[in-house]
Amino acid sequence: MTEQTLTRLWGMRLTFALVVCIILFFHLLPLDTTPRQWVGPDLLLAFACAWSLRRPDYVPSVALAGLFLLADLLLQRPPGLWAMLALLGCENLKSRARGLRDGSFASDWLTVCLVITAISLAYRAGLTITFVALPPFGLSVFELIMTLLAYPAVVAVTHWVLGVRKMQPRDFDGTGGTT
Amino acid sequence: MAKDRSQASDFTGPLRRLLISVLILCLLAIFLVWRIDSPRVERFRAQITDQFVPNLSWAMAPVTGTINLLKDFQSYQRLAQQNRELRSELRRMQAWKEAALQLEQENARLLDLNNVRLDPRLTYITGVVLADSGSPFRQSVLLNVGARDGLVDGWATMDGIGLVGRISGVAENTARVILLTDVSSRIPAIIQPSGQRVIVSGDNSAAPLIDFLEDSDLVRPGHRVVSSGDGGVFPAGLLIGQVAADPTGKLRVRLAADYQRLEFLRVMRHHGTEPVSDSAQLIGPQLPQPEATQ
Repeated sequence: MTEQTLTRLWGMRLTFALVVCIILFFHLLPLDTTPRQWVGPDLLLAFACAWSLRRPDYVPSVALAGLFLLADLLLQRPPGLWAMLALLGCENLKSRARGLRDGSFASDWLTVCLVITAISLAYRAGLTITFVALPPFGLSVFELIMTLLAYPAVVAVTHWVLGVRKMQPRDFDGTGGTT
Repeated sequence: MAKDRSQASDFTGPLRRLLISVLILCLLAIFLVWRIDSPRVERFRAQITDQFVPNLSWAMAPVTGTINLLKDFQSYQRLAQQNRELRSELRRMQAWKEAALQLEQENARLLDLNNVRLDPRLTYITGVVLADSGSPFRQSVLLNVGARDGLVDGWATMDGIGLVGRISGVAENTARVILLTDVSSRIPAIIQPSGQRVIVSGDNSAAPLIDFLEDSDLVRPGHRVVSSGDGGVFPAGLLIGQVAADPTGKLRVRLAADYQRLEFLRVMRHHGTEPVSDSAQLIGPQLPQPEATQ
């Protein structure tokens, strides 16, 4: 039984890495090389938040840091800053995960909204302090709103397609309790 | 069970916090190193991309093809209308072709008379676009040619008609092209009939701005913008586009290259203009030689 949960644990960790790679893959496809007036949601961050709140043990900090850094490097962002802030945000969500386990989806969504907004504000502040050219304000706000709106869809995919659910009391019964 | 879990968190809590602190410090260090020594980290980024993206090209090519096919399928619905438009355009183009042929002959005759030698060293390598920047805030594409093919940072890239961008970041098998529309793109240019020197600066819109224009009265929408070769980075005389005025009255460049479909790009080999070696004599008035020796 313990071996089975261990297999599942590593399987889900690999699944998360795979999801991130697929998102990056679709980001990199050379479909649209003209400047756009709209931006899609930051699915990477939304997935990381959803998984952090549901099953913190499926998204270990090292994996989060590595994947966010990879995204920074591949998507031409200043490397490190966004990864650091996103990691901080996800760790914050992980520490709240136990408190939110029994809450409704609304409180879950609200918490994630606050964390993602804080990450975006801190990112702009960090870029301003270090005199890096800021991305256009309108586009950034648009991306933030799209991410917040896309979060329920991401949660739905996480819940029903990938099978990552909040820990229920029955998860602790007889399965070793370490999940 | 709850007691068990709290014991576990007592044990792993400080360790976990230490791990997170170390990770965060590492990421912060990477950011600060990038801020201080950007070229080195950008080279590292190019190498990572070089490892990652070419391995995905087997999957990227069919997916991109399929999605483009679906996009084309939408345009098939307007086939009849498009056909009519194309036919009228073709009729107009035939007149232009006639004019172009005559001009070409005249041009060749004049060049021959003047004994003009065009730069014979301007050759090119053609590369395939592998990926775009992946972010809506940056405008760049990744080519499948790199240091292996002798590419150098700063070379111009064209799509056969107009300038597309410049090489910035070369890895072994790949090279990144910063497009003219990117926020960090600045290209010295010349506006053709009036001969004014300007800078074409991208601002994340489809038509880059014209900066440092001395006399805007001499420039009309429709004038040609070509690269001027100032600074020795770019070959001169590559077509960038046409001047256009946006609704607020600012002058912009309508790019000649087709940014909708960047598939194959030409990288122009450019071996640079001769560098000036004695810089001291360029600054300040030249002192009279006899007085200095006395």
